[in-house]
Amino acid sequence: MIQLVIAAVLIMGCLGLVLGLVIGFFAKVFKVETDPRIELVTELLPGANCGGCGKAGCSDFAKSVVNGENPPGKCPVSSKEQITAIAMALGVDPGSAFPRRAVVRCGGDIHQVNRKINYNGVLDCASANLISGGPKGCRYGCIGMGSCAAKCPFGAIEIINNLAVVHEELCVGCGTCAAVCPRGVIELVPMNSRVHVYCNSPEKGPEKRKNCKVSCLGCRKCERLAPEKFKVEGFLARVDYEADPPPTEEDVEKVGCPTGALLTASRHYEIETFDPEFSIK
Amino acid sequence: MKYIELAVGAILVYNFVLSRFLGICPFLGVSKRLSTALGMSGAVIAVMTLASAITAVIYKYLLVFTFNGKTYDLRFLQVLLFILVIAALVQIIEISLQKSSPKLYQALGIYLPLITTNCAVLGAATLNASGGRSVLDATLFGCFSGVGFALALVLFSSLRERLELAAPPRAFAGTPLALVTAGILAMAFIGFAGLC
Amino acid sequence: MNKSTRSVMTFKNGIYPVYHGKELSEGAATRIAPLLARYTVPVAQNAGKPPEVIVKAGDKVKKYQLIARASGFVSANLHSPVSGEVKGIIEVPGATGVPAQAVEIISDGLDEALPPLPEIDWKQADPKELLDRIAACGLVGMGGASFPTHVKLSPPPEKEIDTLILNGAECEPFLTADHRLMLEDPHAVLAGAAIMSRILGIDRIFIGVEMNKIDAIEVLQEKSASYGVRIVPLKVQYPQGSEKQLINAITGRDVPAGGLPMDARCVVQNIGTAAAAADAVIRGIPLVERIVTVTGPVVKTPGNWKLRIGTPVIEAVRLAEGVTEEPGKLILGGPMMGFSQRSFDVPTAKNTSGILLLSQDQAVNYESGNCIRCGRCVQGCPMHLMPCALAAAIESGRFDIAQQNHVMDCLECGACAYVCPAKRPLVQHHRRAKAEIRRQMQKK
Repeated sequence: MIQLVIAAVLIMGCLGLVLGLVIGFFAKVFKVETDPRIELVTELLPGANCGGCGKAGCSDFAKSVVNGENPPGKCPVSSKEQITAIAMALGVDPGSAFPRRAVVRCGGDIHQVNRKINYNGVLDCASANLISGGPKGCRYGCIGMGSCAAKCPFGAIEIINNLAVVHEELCVGCGTCAAVCPRGVIELVPMNSRVHVYCNSPEKGPEKRKNCKVSCLGCRKCERLAPEKFKVEGFLARVDYEADPPPTEEDVEKVGCPTGALLTASRHYEIETFDPEFSIK
Repeated sequence: MKYIELAVGAILVYNFVLSRFLGICPFLGVSKRLSTALGMSGAVIAVMTLASAITAVIYKYLLVFTFNGKTYDLRFLQVLLFILVIAALVQIIEISLQKSSPKLYQALGIYLPLITTNCAVLGAATLNASGGRSVLDATLFGCFSGVGFALALVLFSSLRERLELAAPPRAFAGTPLALVTAGILAMAFIGFAGLC
Repeated sequence: MNKSTRSVMTFKNGIYPVYHGKELSEGAATRIAPLLARYTVPVAQNAGKPPEVIVKAGDKVKKYQLIARASGFVSANLHSPVSGEVKGIIEVPGATGVPAQAVEIISDGLDEALPPLPEIDWKQADPKELLDRIAACGLVGMGGASFPTHVKLSPPPEKEIDTLILNGAECEPFLTADHRLMLEDPHAVLAGAAIMSRILGIDRIFIGVEMNKIDAIEVLQEKSASYGVRIVPLKVQYPQGSEKQLINAITGRDVPAGGLPMDARCVVQNIGTAAAAADAVIRGIPLVERIVTVTGPVVKTPGNWKLRIGTPVIEAVRLAEGVTEEPGKLILGGPMMGFSQRSFDVPTAKNTSGILLLSQDQAVNYESGNCIRCGRCVQGCPMHLMPCALAAAIESGRFDIAQQNHVMDCLECGACAYVCPAKRPLVQHHRRAKAEIRRQMQKK
């Protein structure tokens, strides 16, 4: 009996030794240098592969962080804590990316826009845009077929009454939506700006008015009353996102935009979600 | 004739995935893309063939031997030994793959080391042992079994590539639909029963 | 199918639209449109680079006067269709839905023309001289693509060309402009063909005409011998008038995937372009007017008019005595490949072959269903693509698969969508994919 046990142990031991040697040999011959830190950073990143950092995906970004090409803060999606964790793990400066947020610069939901075109095709913004410029009268506003909502990796865009509306608490500013929008209605703005012009049409005021009740008419009222915060380019007012301090609710009230294109983000959200029949008059 | 029978049996009639239901894990895990499925198939065929050959030799000449006029029967060690051999082989394949084709290595991910615990490979080895096959037969059986696995994987991944373009109800999208498809594919393979 | 139609030349696949609608206007002789008070001439009327406007507000122009000069090789001159005063460069609705720049000219009612350019004896003249004349007169393909004619007629020297094909198929339902042109001015068409063949230095010239224009075939055949042109009757099949299908039907050659007609040693021109070439060379006048079919079931008197370029569509509809009921859809071009319009202010251009007003019944809203895999689109596709599979790939955002399956070869002829029993918007999917793939290629 004891001999059997010894034989078993011997055979297992010898085989293990031989195989171990073979593996050792292979490991020596096929040696590949890998940096374990890349894996570590990949794990610490959110893994949404949104491409907001400009890299192909999270592991690609991790590689660039380890190489020192990008600071960890370049990831627009990670929270401050996550970025600090990565920076600490690598012992580098966290760096900073401007935390940004997407804004759909259009208030033209189904109640405000003249929909004279009988569109009967693919329900997809890029496709609709190719056919005579889509179903809405305005050729610059949100088409409202939800290509951005479908692509958003965070579920932060919802189509309400044919208009893309950003849920700000979910938006991390990765920019995926801005890349798919065929009309460039979506803009990434600094996180701390609370006031936006919800119009994207450079057309002349009367032209816009024909198509949409809440368009910016280019009346220059905002520029006159708060010149350091709003600028009118052509026939379209823009918020100066570099203004310090940024425009606030008081500024919006002070200006009193005659069509309601200039709004705070929270008021816009309120109108689109609860008060669709909104009219300034 | 015997070898044709062996081939038809291992590839079609007793297909490891679709008839014996062994090796389901990589079957579902790496069947999303045809290219990775092909890579995985190659790795499995190599591991299965080599493992069958080596385990057959060990089983035949190492586990039952006579020493000093006394016969030692160590066949109770077979599972342990087989796992040891397979693990070592997979390790070697992994190391060489990482060097020669890092892209495939990344695509296979965790499923590559998991071949170690792939029941299909161990299954081939134990089936050889219990069937009392010669070393040549065992090697061929391992190879054909690997081909059978590859066939199932390639078929399935092609189906899944097509399924990806369909718009099923949300609850079905992804793995549920893959499982249903796998079931139907397995049923189709029942049609080969009785061939040999 | 009886024996006589089987022997007629055609291409593989394609469809057979049941309702042709040509009877509405094919009997109406071409009438010259009266002078209007105002023309809005679109600047970009050619494929490639738009020409450079050389007039400004307040300038007096005469008919045939150059108002925009070609800004490169792939570009075409633009001439004033009327005498009067330039009011300005304005924005008008464009035929493709995107607003376009246009020169607004207010007619002075005199219709004074510049003296025509000297006649060229094309039988003796140098090919280069003929080509220069065609370029100077701003000729573009009048079938729809509006590719500058002089570019098409100067193939790169390494490409061997042996055949010139004139496209008189007019396969789109409703359109009859080319039909009337062949009937009424066969000499211009044939002379144009001969001029083009002289430029190319070849003597194999065909004119392909669909069998539903028997009278035109007879008229052309009678006169063709002296010009060395052969008339080829073609089966009534859509899209017979597409370049690649026409080449296949007449010569049996295939244009390689992604290739151009010259890869099959052919040059294809529209017969309208040929007639314009004859006008340019023999009469010395630039391209400022063309025959346009104004038709549709709701048009009071459908017919064919010789319209000057820049005529607003609303004026053309007035010529046809307006409509009998509220139209459901306005299309520039034919019903298969034309562009539906938002506005009646869109002006006609060198490539506008028809103005089509459909009734509200015809512009019905349909609901598109799921693909039932019947394969009719595959049978119908003249380019031998698989529209159903392409659309499935495109719908799930896999443009790479669509590209592998040659979506870029799609003609957008609409045959697949026409025959689809599930009414799937196949062409729109393909257009989307083509736009997307082109965008991605540009990025690289």
